[in-house]
Amino acid sequence: MEEPLNRKLKPLSNKSVTLKTQSIEKSSYDVNAHDKFYAWFFLGPSLVILSIFVFYPMMRTLYLSFFLTNSLGHPSVFVGFSNYINLLTSSAYLDSLTATLIYVIAVSILTLVFGLLLAQTASKKIAGINIFRTIFSGTMGVSVSVAAIFWLFIFNPSIGLLDQVASFFHLPTINWLTQPSWAMTAVIISTVWMNLGFTFLIFFGAFQSVPKFFYEAAEIEGLSRSYQFFHITLPMISPTIFFISIITLIESFKSFGLIDLMTAGGPNNATNLLVYRIYQDAFLSGNYGSASTQSVILAIIIALFTLIQFKLLEKKVTY
Amino acid sequence: MKHFCRLSRGCPIIRKLLLSAFALALTLVFLNTHVNAAERTKVIFWHEMTGPAQEQLNKFVANYNQSQNKYTIVPQFEGNYNEVVQKFLNTHGTDASPALFQSMDISTNQISSSNYTTPVQKFIDENNYDVSKISAVARAFYSKNGSQLSMPFNTSQPVLYYNASLLKKYKITPPPINPSYSDITRVAQQLYQRSGKKVKGLSIEIYGWFFEQFLANSGVALANNADGHEGTPTSVSFDNPAAVAAMRWIQTNIKSDAFMNYGSGSNASANEMAGFLAGKLGMFLQSSSSISQLTAGTKDKIGVTYYPHPDNKKANGVSIGGASLWISNDKSAQVQRGAWNFIKYLMTPKNQAAWQVSTGYLALNQDSQKEAVLQKLYHRYPSSKVSSDQLRKTMPNTTNSGIFMQGLIQERTFIQTAMEQIYNGGDIQKALTEAQQSMNTAVKSANKANKAKN
Repeated sequence: MEEPLNRKLKPLSNKSVTLKTQSIEKSSYDVNAHDKFYAWFFLGPSLVILSIFVFYPMMRTLYLSFFLTNSLGHPSVFVGFSNYINLLTSSAYLDSLTATLIYVIAVSILTLVFGLLLAQTASKKIAGINIFRTIFSGTMGVSVSVAAIFWLFIFNPSIGLLDQVASFFHLPTINWLTQPSWAMTAVIISTVWMNLGFTFLIFFGAFQSVPKFFYEAAEIEGLSRSYQFFHITLPMISPTIFFISIITLIESFKSFGLIDLMTAGGPNNATNLLVYRIYQDAFLSGNYGSASTQSVILAIIIALFTLIQFKLLEKKVTY
Repeated sequence: MKHFCRLSRGCPIIRKLLLSAFALALTLVFLNTHVNAAERTKVIFWHEMTGPAQEQLNKFVANYNQSQNKYTIVPQFEGNYNEVVQKFLNTHGTDASPALFQSMDISTNQISSSNYTTPVQKFIDENNYDVSKISAVARAFYSKNGSQLSMPFNTSQPVLYYNASLLKKYKITPPPINPSYSDITRVAQQLYQRSGKKVKGLSIEIYGWFFEQFLANSGVALANNADGHEGTPTSVSFDNPAAVAAMRWIQTNIKSDAFMNYGSGSNASANEMAGFLAGKLGMFLQSSSSISQLTAGTKDKIGVTYYPHPDNKKANGVSIGGASLWISNDKSAQVQRGAWNFIKYLMTPKNQAAWQVSTGYLALNQDSQKEAVLQKLYHRYPSSKVSSDQLRKTMPNTTNSGIFMQGLIQERTFIQTAMEQIYNGGDIQKALTEAQQSMNTAVKSANKANKAKN
């Protein structure tokens, strides 16, 4: 099946390559003032904007990370790497790091699994399925503050929905947001719920793009539904899974809204994730030096994770 | 170029619309600047008040602007207390900075040592303003070496609230007006037991402010150099006997299950309030400014007492909380005078009384007590007078006039972490000592960073 297709494609691709090289050679001779002007004219504005809002802050953050800042936020004492050393040897920071890793991994995996489940359910052709599709993607339209209020009501220790249900069935009540061991669970549940709308929608779209004849062939072969899911659907939508896993991972590293509104990093720093710590240090305590150091470390961590994902998952992705 | 011409020639209606909109915008801009710039001096006023307090503040501004024709106060809501400190520091010297601004209690040292403000003492002296009418304990919080740095504005003290109707229902003697720790424990236990464990007796939010007040009321300093009133603090003390006693009191109540832990942060106070209004909580510590929310939210009778003090020890009195009004020094003398005049207007007996009635913040002018609106409030809700009495009776000294040091926001973070450990059954001494060590490291590095500049 595949061979003739490849053979057919070959001459075509060769041609396009030669075309490309030709044009490159041609253009290198023709670069003149006029072209240069146009290049700067079109690239200039975005370069200016990027330098002001991206490159300069990045460099400034790196610079500040080597300083102590005074009460006005100005760098005042150069301390070299001691901000980094202090952080990486502080047990509070390392606890934060562990909490963040737990949070990120739990949120990413749960979002993926539940997103896939919902999309699979919604792909069935049943009467009234459109209502469920709307409901499943509903959290996309919910803002973080509204979600936080909603979950705070559910987790409320004296009049919360969960505890009322629990006491109705004579189950022990849990102080969701004030017990360090439960607070993280509560925040993870809320975040996954928030993420599901978007994940569902993307997965649902991907499901629709899988050609129907694969399933028809599988039906004729008499293969089970779960076999179809694992051997047709999953491989076919692997680029989407890859995309979602990276997006969710990076987004959960950067989580801020729900944490700020639900626990404010507490209790006992159980939900004090890296980004929240940076916010506290910079904008509440005014320690821009230490906050910058943490930002640099966070950037490195996210880059590392993304790199690992590319290395590990890229092989499994069939385009 | 060509493209644009063709477009406008092709659609005359759009061109006309655009032109007239442009003309309208220009006229509006012109009119606006013309009217304001002609006679009145603009005074930009940053504040962080929300809800009823914001409404009342806007009323004051409107009335003030109408009452005279020299200045126009322009109120601008700037978000929460924490953000405004950084905003103020970062905009100083630019057109975006305010002439008059409200800043929270624990930012006092930071704002003052920025040297970006004119101490209000300058205007008090120039005007021979009779400052003795303003509450002494509130003034002490915002002054240094006898000089008034800023004018106390929205001011509250922590008090203990109890549900008087619930206590009556279960035939429990209410706590005395100036209760000790064990008075409160007694009521909490009785309420929890007699309600069949349905009503929790007591709640104390995990909030650094309350911890500071336990020390203040015990007459013990939290930072050295007399809480910073006699020089820059170089170390703090969290694990002193007074702090341990207060924490042990809380832990006793937690162990007996009569205590409800609502955690920390704004959700905690909202949940605590909801629990109290729903009749599931008997007593809690909170700012005196919560009274209007409480009386509006329940039909139950509400009782108020002073802040609890240690057993076998006289109460030293608690410090205040809230925010004060500052005048920036990057504006012209005339603008600064406008800001001061507005401050004076806010501090009049009549306005302070109206402020307490509509917001729950305490009236700071002594003469406000005679105002009819305030008398009416006391008559309707006798418990609301307790907070006013507590404020009036507090004699300022170095341990109850606030902590004059930088990094108090961080101090509260460390304290709250320790309190969370203690509330979850952790060892008191260990939790406090750890927090103290963290804060001492922070103090050392902050002093290092700030000295290098000064």
